[in-house]
Amino acid sequence: MDIRDLKKQSDLSYDIAVAKRNALEKAHSRQVLAYEGHLFRADPQTISLVRTLKETNDKFFVLDTNSNPVEITSPDNFLAKLIERNQETLNAYHQMYKTFSKKG
Amino acid sequence: MSQGVLLFCFDTEHTKYHKILERCVALIKKNLKLQITVVTNFETYKKLKPLGFINYKFIEPETGNTKQGKPWKNVDRHLAYELSPYEQTVVMDIDYFCYTDNIKQVFDTKYDFLVPDQAYDLSGRNSFDHRRFSLIPMVWATVLYFRKNAKVEKIFKMVKYVKDWYPYFTELYRIQAKNLRNDYVFAIALQQINGFTDYEKFPFALSTLPPDCEIVKFTDNGLAWKYQDQINYVEDQDVHVLNKEIADV
Repeated sequence: MDIRDLKKQSDLSYDIAVAKRNALEKAHSRQVLAYEGHLFRADPQTISLVRTLKETNDKFFVLDTNSNPVEITSPDNFLAKLIERNQETLNAYHQMYKTFSKKG
Repeated sequence: MSQGVLLFCFDTEHTKYHKILERCVALIKKNLKLQITVVTNFETYKKLKPLGFINYKFIEPETGNTKQGKPWKNVDRHLAYELSPYEQTVVMDIDYFCYTDNIKQVFDTKYDFLVPDQAYDLSGRNSFDHRRFSLIPMVWATVLYFRKNAKVEKIFKMVKYVKDWYPYFTELYRIQAKNLRNDYVFAIALQQINGFTDYEKFPFALSTLPPDCEIVKFTDNGLAWKYQDQINYVEDQDVHVLNKEIADV
């Protein structure tokens, strides 16, 4: 058993874990979206909420990231923007993730 | 409505802040495409290489503050409101490097004042958690957004008041660092002016590299750093760099 080889693998695993965590944080930062004068997060919770509310309402209220109520009058437009931003960030994360997979 | 970025930059005998400013300005121009105003003094200005069309405001910085025993000219942030020529302003530390346009979104909002209250340690050590010792919810004054109006003017008056009586407030809030830090000044002022209630914040953490991370490469798209014997990098992600040796990279 070569302990240096194991140490090397451990260092590599650590580097990959940090880089993966940073890439995820980058995605989270990018998911912040300005809409109707307020900031929202294009995360699964917001997307699911908007999609659910729009099934039965043409207009509805949601909370922004600072818990202010915002009336959404064009749900389709809002949902499209949320999904676009969410997928943009996850696509970038996926590209980065592929490079980790090759290294590890 | 006018929009822009306000930066403060003063060289000290130990740190060539103007070198850091040059990098910061280039990234703002490339990624934010906003007007820029630099608050500086003539001593620093004459060392700057030509930076294209940006505005300058000259002041004599207040002296006396230190960081690790060295002069630190960071006391003038309370002047941001009166020095900004813009109706909507982002104030940034010059060691905050915008590799994205993420911050630009705040100009499309109705908020009066925003500040981040979380920092994310890119080196993976959560090394900013120790600041919870003080009796006040922390903020990071590295990046601020404000819109000019009567309410925000009062916030900055409060910031100046806290700055003037800083030793008293550090005792009151059990803040260990005795030098003046804008993070604490703004945290205290915001709590006071908001009647000891919550206030609006940026919904993301500032990605930050601790001072013991040495920057080994700096490009138009990102930077690489060395911590102990490990090298890591980020691309297309805004970064706050606390190691001031970046001026020499």
